Amino acid sequence: MTSSADEQNTGISVKAASDIEIDHEQLDKSIADFVEKKPGYYQKAFHKVHAATTSLPNTFNWAAAILGPIWGGFRGVWGFFWGFLILEMIVWVQMGRGIWGSPGARFEERAEAQLARADGFRKQAEEALAAGEDASRYEKLVENMTLAAERSMAEAQALNDGKIFVLLTGLAIFLLVKLVQGFYADRIYERQYSRWRIDPEGTESGVKSRNLVLSLVLVVLIAPLTIYKFTVESPFELLNEFPEKEISTYFLEGDNETFYTKTATWLEDRIDATAVAGQGIFDGLTAGVRSILEAMTLALIVTPWPVVMVVVCVIAWRAAGPRVSIFTGAALAYVALLGYWEVSMETVALVGAAVFLCVIIGIPLGIWFGKSQRAYKIAEPVLDLMQTLPAFVYLIPIIAFFGTGNPPGILATIIFGMPPVIRLTALGMRGVPKTIIEAAEAFGASKRQLLRDVEIPLALPSIMTGVNQTILMCLSMVVIISLIGGGGLGQEILLALQYAAKGPGLLGGFAILLCAMVIDRIVQGAFRRET
Amino acid sequence: MNERVIKLDNVWKIFGEQSMAAMEAIKERGISKPEVLSEFGCVVGVQKATFEVSKGEIFCIMGLSGSGKSTLVRHVNRLIEPTSGKIEVLGREVGSLSNTELREMRAMQMGMVFQHMALLPHRSVRDNVAYPLEIRNIPKSRRWAISDHALALVDLVGYEDRLPRELSGGMQQRVGIARALASDPEILLMDEPFSALDPLIRLQLQDQFKALVAELQKTTLFITHDLDEAIRIGHRIAIMKDGAIVQIGTAEEIVMNPADEYVREFVQGISKLKLVKAHSIMEPIESYQGNLEGAPVADHKADLDQIIDLAVDTDLPVIITDGGNRVGLITKPRLLRGIQGGKE
Repeated sequence: MTSSADEQNTGISVKAASDIEIDHEQLDKSIADFVEKKPGYYQKAFHKVHAATTSLPNTFNWAAAILGPIWGGFRGVWGFFWGFLILEMIVWVQMGRGIWGSPGARFEERAEAQLARADGFRKQAEEALAAGEDASRYEKLVENMTLAAERSMAEAQALNDGKIFVLLTGLAIFLLVKLVQGFYADRIYERQYSRWRIDPEGTESGVKSRNLVLSLVLVVLIAPLTIYKFTVESPFELLNEFPEKEISTYFLEGDNETFYTKTATWLEDRIDATAVAGQGIFDGLTAGVRSILEAMTLALIVTPWPVVMVVVCVIAWRAAGPRVSIFTGAALAYVALLGYWEVSMETVALVGAAVFLCVIIGIPLGIWFGKSQRAYKIAEPVLDLMQTLPAFVYLIPIIAFFGTGNPPGILATIIFGMPPVIRLTALGMRGVPKTIIEAAEAFGASKRQLLRDVEIPLALPSIMTGVNQTILMCLSMVVIISLIGGGGLGQEILLALQYAAKGPGLLGGFAILLCAMVIDRIVQGAFRRET
Repeated sequence: MNERVIKLDNVWKIFGEQSMAAMEAIKERGISKPEVLSEFGCVVGVQKATFEVSKGEIFCIMGLSGSGKSTLVRHVNRLIEPTSGKIEVLGREVGSLSNTELREMRAMQMGMVFQHMALLPHRSVRDNVAYPLEIRNIPKSRRWAISDHALALVDLVGYEDRLPRELSGGMQQRVGIARALASDPEILLMDEPFSALDPLIRLQLQDQFKALVAELQKTTLFITHDLDEAIRIGHRIAIMKDGAIVQIGTAEEIVMNPADEYVREFVQGISKLKLVKAHSIMEPIESYQGNLEGAPVADHKADLDQIIDLAVDTDLPVIITDGGNRVGLITKPRLLRGIQGGKE
């Protein structure tokens, strides 16, 4: 192969950049495909946009300027449609106020009220005179009131005289908006064209009568009512408030009940019925949770306090090093010296039981969701719900099902604390490289061996992050469960809150903070050591 | 030597939800690959692959990315199920094995090496090599001994307790090879094992691997996108394009008689010196009219490199013999054309 043969084969001829001519033909065809209607105009307009060297617009689109948002809707440029629909509505409201609104109405009303009060005082003055008393006090009041009324009238007059300026500013903004529409329409449309070239399926192109009808309907639905509401001094009552009561009575035929009361009662009945029907299960659950909690309590509270302190400090040393151990010692001293020892240990027992349950339920669930895309899709909204539903909302059914006290508190904590460990386990499982899984399969690994030797070890960092998150979430929930009779430091803080006791509240808060930090540091240190 | 180890018979793989319907349409109407895509939304990964590999042979499958070579090799250990066709390994039909039998076959009779090594990052080199044995529940003392032996074969003594990430790419791939050898399998499946390595390391590993396989007598399916590599390593080469095998043959057959334009383009840049043997370019001895006295003599299996060595010292042609009989001769012009690749 010689070099000349190479040149012949490739068939490339190189030109200087300045000699390259713009091929309009192909571009024009593609623009025509995109715009469908009026290709001639848009080909020229887009060429100008492409030729522009500054960001200042160099075309004016009369159709867009005159039709405004409707042009945008017709052409499928929905950003243009919504943006200018809102702008134009503001302008129309401004102009409407200038033409038929009564900007001074508020002051006129005030003047009338003031005159009425002046009348009242005048009557009192006459009565006083008739009774032979000194009426000068009332006369003074009448005088002042009348003056005030005159001032209000003048204010109203001035505002009403200013209507013309309102109208004029409205008109000025209107013109400005139209200019912006005209000048920028082609620019915006050209952007949509560029997007369409990349993604012709997902980007709207051409003109569709469906779009025209849709934009007209939207304008008719939105604009007149809004402009009416904003320009008229006292619009229909119906527009001010949603007629929820009227609709309820219309449909429920005057049971003196609303949709709200009906559904709420129905829900309440259902919950009560479930609580009765499932009492055995709920009691069993409570007993199970209680036994775990009791084991924890036994270890932390019944064990002599010096033993617990020493063990905790040693664990901190082994897991996270001397600095964390010293910090742990200081935190334990704070808690013990302020008399929080027992309640703190109760809190740790509560969190420990909740985290234990979260982990033994959450990790298998996470593994399952990591393997089955379908299961994860179903579970995801539930997990979102568990994390975002305010805790107070599910505290109520928990009381109905499980009563009050520590075990129901732990169940509430689990609802809030479990999602992170599930999510991060699933994430870790999905993140295991497919090549390594394939290799293990190629060497004959069974599903169980694959899980034990490859998937779980490789997902472990992610799982551990999930466990840590869960611990922190559970700690933050511990205060809230005192609302349903949960004990520990949360109860101290709830009491302080009820009596607005600033000092005890702060001290208790710090105790929780220290507990959280100690647990977090120890756990993080242990993980860091492992990876 | 000629015992058949791997046999593929008309194997097809079609990816997509309607693969069975697409397969039927191909069988009945013979529709082409683009038609399958437009009609059924299915991609043809492998089409009518048929070949046999005998014991101790290194069979290279060469093709560019997307030609279906990696898909094809995964049929042999059923990491991928064929849409149609039969695969026989060591006389057993792979498709008919139960899950347990399949796992057993993978663990005992096949070792696989991957382009991206796919070592377990949390296990030491020794435990990585021992993993196929661990799957088979071989006790730790035994599997450590075997693993150390396999590591010695690939020249990695002293790295047993390192983690894979502490090793260079070439060393990691040697761990991969040791892992494939650990369970002493009959068959090695090599999926572009050296593609991700530096050229120099690649050459080194190719030689090491060739010597090792010759020593251990493993039947090998070797996937590569590099024709030079295929020629260096393979006894026979299959060239794949768009999921179909275009040509199967020895390196010399493929270089001297490319089946079509596609293969011809591929082999154009290949050096023929070590590939082309004297018998494939020699002329009949009668065609030479001059005196042959004192002309050098070479065996018909000598390669061009050797012929050139003989030809530089004389003006006479080189006489080619087969078992002592003169069977032909190679003149200087003939030799030069032969180096070019047989151009007339």
